[in-house]
Amino acid sequence: MKDFWRNFSRNRGAVVGLVVLLAVLILAVLAPVLYPGSPWDMAGMPFAPPGEDGMLLGTDSLGRDVAAGIAHGARVSLLVGAVSTVAALAIGVSLGAIAGYLGGIADDLVMRFTEFFQTIPSFVLAILLVAIFTPSIASIVFAIAVVSWPPVARVVRAEFLSLRSREFVQASEVLGKSRLSIVIGDILPNALSPIVVLSSLMVASAILLESALSFLGLGDPNMMSWGFLIGSGRSVIRMAWWMSVFPGVAIFLTVLSLNLVGEGLSDALNPRLARNRGGKP
Amino acid sequence: MAFSRRGLLAAAAAAPLLMRVEDALAQGIQPKRGGTLNSIVNPEPPVLHVGVNNQAPTLIVGGKIFQGLLRYDAKLNPMPELAKRWEVSPDGLEYTFHLQENVKFHDGQPMTADDVVFSIMKFHMEVSPRARGVFARIKEGVAVNPTTAKFTLSAPFEPFLLMFDVTVSAIVPKHLFDGQDYRQAPAVSKPIGTGPFRFVEWQRGNFIRLERFADYWKPGQPYLDAIIYRVVPDSQSRRLALESGQVQLTQSNDIEPFDVPQMRARPNLEVRTEGWEYFGPLMWMEFNHRVKPLDDVRVRRALTMAVNRDFIAQRLWFGIGKPATGPFHSATRFYDGTAKSAAFNVEEAKKLLDAAGLKPNGQGVRFAIKHMSLPYGEVFTRLGEFLRQSFRQVGVELQLESVDVGTWAQRTAAWEFDTTINYLYQYGDPTLGVERSYVSTNIKKILFSNVAGYSNPKVDELFTQGRDSADPKVRQTAFSAVQKILVEEAPLLWLLEMSFPSIYDKKLQNVITSGSGIHACFDDVFLA
Amino acid sequence: MELSKLPGYLLGRLVKAAIVILAIVVCNFFLIHAAPGDPASIIAGQSGAADARFLEQLRAQFGLDQPLYVQLWIYLKGVLTLDLGFSHRQQVAVASLLWDRLPATLLLTGAAFVFALSVGVAMGALAALRVGTWGDSIITVLALTFYATPLFWVGLMLVLLFSVTLEWLPSFGMASVGVDLHGIDVVLDVAKHLLLPALTLGLFYVAVYARLSRATMLEVADQDFVKTARAKGVPEGRILRRHILRNALLPIITFAGIQAGQLIGGSILVETVFAWPGIGRLAFEALLARDYQVLMGVFFCTSVMVVLFNLITDLLYAVVDPRVEVSA
Repeated sequence: MKDFWRNFSRNRGAVVGLVVLLAVLILAVLAPVLYPGSPWDMAGMPFAPPGEDGMLLGTDSLGRDVAAGIAHGARVSLLVGAVSTVAALAIGVSLGAIAGYLGGIADDLVMRFTEFFQTIPSFVLAILLVAIFTPSIASIVFAIAVVSWPPVARVVRAEFLSLRSREFVQASEVLGKSRLSIVIGDILPNALSPIVVLSSLMVASAILLESALSFLGLGDPNMMSWGFLIGSGRSVIRMAWWMSVFPGVAIFLTVLSLNLVGEGLSDALNPRLARNRGGKP
Repeated sequence: MAFSRRGLLAAAAAAPLLMRVEDALAQGIQPKRGGTLNSIVNPEPPVLHVGVNNQAPTLIVGGKIFQGLLRYDAKLNPMPELAKRWEVSPDGLEYTFHLQENVKFHDGQPMTADDVVFSIMKFHMEVSPRARGVFARIKEGVAVNPTTAKFTLSAPFEPFLLMFDVTVSAIVPKHLFDGQDYRQAPAVSKPIGTGPFRFVEWQRGNFIRLERFADYWKPGQPYLDAIIYRVVPDSQSRRLALESGQVQLTQSNDIEPFDVPQMRARPNLEVRTEGWEYFGPLMWMEFNHRVKPLDDVRVRRALTMAVNRDFIAQRLWFGIGKPATGPFHSATRFYDGTAKSAAFNVEEAKKLLDAAGLKPNGQGVRFAIKHMSLPYGEVFTRLGEFLRQSFRQVGVELQLESVDVGTWAQRTAAWEFDTTINYLYQYGDPTLGVERSYVSTNIKKILFSNVAGYSNPKVDELFTQGRDSADPKVRQTAFSAVQKILVEEAPLLWLLEMSFPSIYDKKLQNVITSGSGIHACFDDVFLA
Repeated sequence: MELSKLPGYLLGRLVKAAIVILAIVVCNFFLIHAAPGDPASIIAGQSGAADARFLEQLRAQFGLDQPLYVQLWIYLKGVLTLDLGFSHRQQVAVASLLWDRLPATLLLTGAAFVFALSVGVAMGALAALRVGTWGDSIITVLALTFYATPLFWVGLMLVLLFSVTLEWLPSFGMASVGVDLHGIDVVLDVAKHLLLPALTLGLFYVAVYARLSRATMLEVADQDFVKTARAKGVPEGRILRRHILRNALLPIITFAGIQAGQLIGGSILVETVFAWPGIGRLAFEALLARDYQVLMGVFFCTSVMVVLFNLITDLLYAVVDPRVEVSA
């Protein structure tokens, strides 16, 4: 653990990222305290510029406080990011484990399936799914999970392929452990680091994806989110720039910090690779 | 009241040709021949034949190619168009139309009473559900002579004269349709009418070009050489085209409500919101009376009081349209201004809900209902959000459901909603456009019927009285009584008398001169 | 690769591509049927007049009264003949809608692709050359910034800056409406409109390619043949050009080829922001109107493009790089 922290904190960007991420988390937790009531409440006069009418970041076309929207939106963005990542991990890890551990036809089938999902344009598919299953927090999480599991499956498969022939796995097999307990008990824990690194990046892209969906009007109509704020500001950007600018900054900071933290995690978990850290295809 | 019964019943004798051109002359503006009017049509209409398609884009463009027997002023008094005068028999059963002389279709054939009888008795009866409902009351239609057509009703129907606008019953050439499938006939894709402009070219996705019809029956008219409707699907591009003068006229939904204030501020542009009186679009929140506690009149009244209709008109629609006062659009005949739905009053609303036994729980919520937003774009999304916050102030939780057009139509028709938004045209007369939303005989699983499921025998009776009487006085009494009952019982939550901005270059004259505004044939429009 | 093997390889790839496309089509069909609301009630709703007879007429007209497998068969047959259904809302065949919009999207994505690849590779190469220095850090931070910013927001901010505030560039559309332009002026007009959207769409991929090329170049630089060259005293500039860049470029281009398809997905957002009249914008309009037929068409069309891009990339790769093993 100590090593982990030392390696992590050696990456200055990662530390900055962690601080920003914590700030966003705190904002999300404190939203009901900072801005009691609903972020949808018409608190001031419509189109009040930042600083006027007691509104730190201005108001929107109905007089709703943009700052309150951003604070409450943090909850939704982080929630969607986290839950859809967990769901994508569940799909990706299971399929990757099956392919990597069983090999053969199972591997072939799973990989063809994964390839198919990597081929089709993911954003278009996400739009289609949310539109058809009507926009709600559940359909958004579902759509994001459906389009973001393939990289997980690939990474997990690769790990499993290399781990399954290791001695400790073979030892367990000789001992007659069931396949499931070998996969969960022996292999998975050893494959965890790349999954952890990948997760932080997946949360980031899930937040981006959610904001893009909301921007297109496919957000949950009962949930205030950052993408919604930007989308509702688009048509009046000539009148009220603040409606689009601030929520965008919020998304940017959050996604950036998650990426930085991801790199820090990667450095900390794979110190060997730290130097040549490169692109994330 | 706005309605003049003399205008409807006895216009025949006196009807002076309301030459708006002369009005213009009186103002010192000389009509000028020539010039091309560039406008916008959006969305692109599927066809241009006003008979087979009733959507706004078709009616707006097709209204230049076709004409009806009559037009209507802003107070819904009939004015001559293809009929120069008309008579109604004292018993209200016989309607005789005397046609203009020398009217020709764009293919050169003369228009006669035969075409009129064919259009009314056959063509529109077949293709238009709306016309079918009224024209089914015609017992007999005959061409007395080439310039006289006579229709005999089986029973008096006082609003009959409102049915002859080009948007309902355009006169089509019999020789191009008789004996064919009307919807598939070649004359549908190449429309031939009697209007001042003839159809010339349509590049799909690009523009529709209409040109001056040289043989038009009003000598010297139309003034414009051509009208070009450009297809511009993006609202910001439409706004730019108008601002930069590339088009001189936009209408309907071309310019978004939030852009209108800036258009008003431009010195070279005129913004008008009149010209929708003939249609009288009224928007409301639909309550499903089968869902508790919406069956309770106190709850419906309380919800009515919870909503600030002025805010909707001013802030959401940016002043385009007026707050609704009750079940009748104020331009609809027999509107009674003394019957007003409950005013905005949050405290009263809370008291009423308390009285109905709906006390707030720990979170301040009395009850929760769902709201299916009308999927017609951003402003309706904002409306849903606004209603949710308004209701929350009185302790009612409105949960928004975002649905697509298909789901909305299906679920509204199948009564599968708690509340939703809807807007209907009233077509100038309560019998034509109001009755259908309130009478119990029209509680059907069909869109635009009484989907709320409101039922009151007294209301049924009054609407029947109003429909069957040939005497406007009797009708007024019945409809006044019905409005008083409806505003008390609040079967729906009336929100907005809708309108749509017509925005045009100030050089353009005579654009809005009737109750159907932009749908007029434009034979007197000119560029000064 | 031996040229004699190429036809077999080609065939294999084509079969694979065809299977993927078929799977997409079947997916599409079932998604249509999962969609709520049948087209007849939508049109009835829109035309403002719905009686039972009208609904019946519409249902029969669209074949909605047929059993599901018949409808699937009709749909498959349709797709084979490039009939992607009919947009009842727009009253036009979906295929012709897509066909009209495709050139605009190809222009936008093509421009964005070229921009992203050239700038991205240049940035990555620069960073790799100066690895560990301030220059490297700046480029890395810049790439990360592009990477973390929502595409549509970048677009809005560019509009705010260049169109609303500075009034240098048009904020939407592909050409000026209603102005008569000829020859070079038309090209310039379109180019002016293209600048902001292509920049917006490209920025994210600049980040992707920059990070990728930096990593690839560092990896190549570590390899033996580079070390050998350096040991032989070959000048650094020459090593960079002849050895590192050349060998790093291939995987970058391959990856870029695969990504090119995904660019089309991103163009939905960019075309929405800039009202660019391509299929992305079409998808957004269809989305607002919940015109599922058109949405499916866009999904199908973009998928086919991705498959095609992959195919072309594979082939180029196989032809260019003799080391690539060819197995279908």
